[in-house]
Amino acid sequence: MNRALAWLLVLGGGAGLAAAGALTLEKIAKLRDPAYVPTCSLNPVVSCGSVMDSAQAEAFGFPNPLLGIAGFAVVVTTGVAVLAGFEPPRWYRVALNAGTAFGVVFVHWLIAAGLYDIHALCPYCVVVWVVTIPLFWYSTLDTWPGLAALRRVHSAVLVLWYAVIAGLVLHAFWDYWTSLL
Amino acid sequence: MSRTARANKRNPVTARRGPSLNAVLTGVVVLVAVLVIGGVLVLDRSGGAGGASSGTLVPPDAHTLSKAEGDQVTLVEFLDFQCPACASYYTGVTKKLEQDYRGRITFVTRNFPLEGHPLAVPAARAAEAAGKQGKYAEMYHALYDNFDTWATDGRSTSADTARATAKFEEFATAAGLDLERFRADSASAEVQAVIDRDVADGTALGVDSTPTFFLDGEEFSAGGSTIADAERELRARIDAALAG
Repeated sequence: MNRALAWLLVLGGGAGLAAAGALTLEKIAKLRDPAYVPTCSLNPVVSCGSVMDSAQAEAFGFPNPLLGIAGFAVVVTTGVAVLAGFEPPRWYRVALNAGTAFGVVFVHWLIAAGLYDIHALCPYCVVVWVVTIPLFWYSTLDTWPGLAALRRVHSAVLVLWYAVIAGLVLHAFWDYWTSLL
Repeated sequence: MSRTARANKRNPVTARRGPSLNAVLTGVVVLVAVLVIGGVLVLDRSGGAGGASSGTLVPPDAHTLSKAEGDQVTLVEFLDFQCPACASYYTGVTKKLEQDYRGRITFVTRNFPLEGHPLAVPAARAAEAAGKQGKYAEMYHALYDNFDTWATDGRSTSADTARATAKFEEFATAAGLDLERFRADSASAEVQAVIDRDVADGTALGVDSTPTFFLDGEEFSAGGSTIADAERELRARIDAALAG
């Protein structure tokens, strides 16, 4: 595993950890006072209140950000360990890739739920979307030697991925974006 | 620019080397994405008459009771002309706000006739029809100022369409409207479409009761239980928005 990927794990995992932590704190504040308006609820579209209140926010019976706190902590720790000289064996890299694959599938399910079911964008959740995709992508490229051809266009794939999601977000909240212009 | 030029001149064999191909493709994807997204946004905006560009909160043809330069502070109310709470808010809150903040805030009204108010849609049609002759505000005021004469039978909600229609035509005449045109517009599909759009926008914004207010896009729910509390709080928010 190279140092660039290790730094991605540290920074991406750190951003994800911060976002999951913030969402957990908002959730606790909301449980304490049901009338609490989360700091990230700015208007009908940019709102984490409606997202946190949805059924999808507790996909496994407990608030999703708890998964994020556990998962992103492992990602950060792995990155730091690699920077400190740890050479992850193959089984470790496969396991990390499996974890990020679960994360990326889960995130896309949440994107679909946010855009087409809940009709709201939660800023902290968007941070998690943004970091989970490259964590999965670069962990995949690092783990599977057969993907050498894709490695040559690594950032083009990533940017295309982001562009498709940006397009979907734009389309789903079209009226909101045009009202901002 | 120079990077693309170099890549084009390069020998096709060496051009397959990783970084440059990746960089070029990345640049192309970013460029195409920005052009497509930006282009669609700009095109949509310039073709505004189509209605697709209408904001969910404030469509281009929205009725404004007060208009501020540059729309610095915008208050949107989703209302039902036959809802008693809306009439109370009108008397206790919005009529005063409209006068006190005239020209300083943009105050937009949207239709949200509720089921269970049989005259709410006819009243909304009358207001929209008056709007087609430039007298929306006059009809809006007449409907709420004379709420008791058409919307209620004693204490209960009225369903007397004939009485209400006669009243609406009386208001229209008083406002100096062309009565024939007013009748035709009231019955038109075009006016109904405006009401349907307002209801659809309100539903999309999460409106489920009236009156529902949005101050600069943020839903305002009165913390206090009385109309006076609501007025005080709304004024405070507006003053803060004007100051900020």
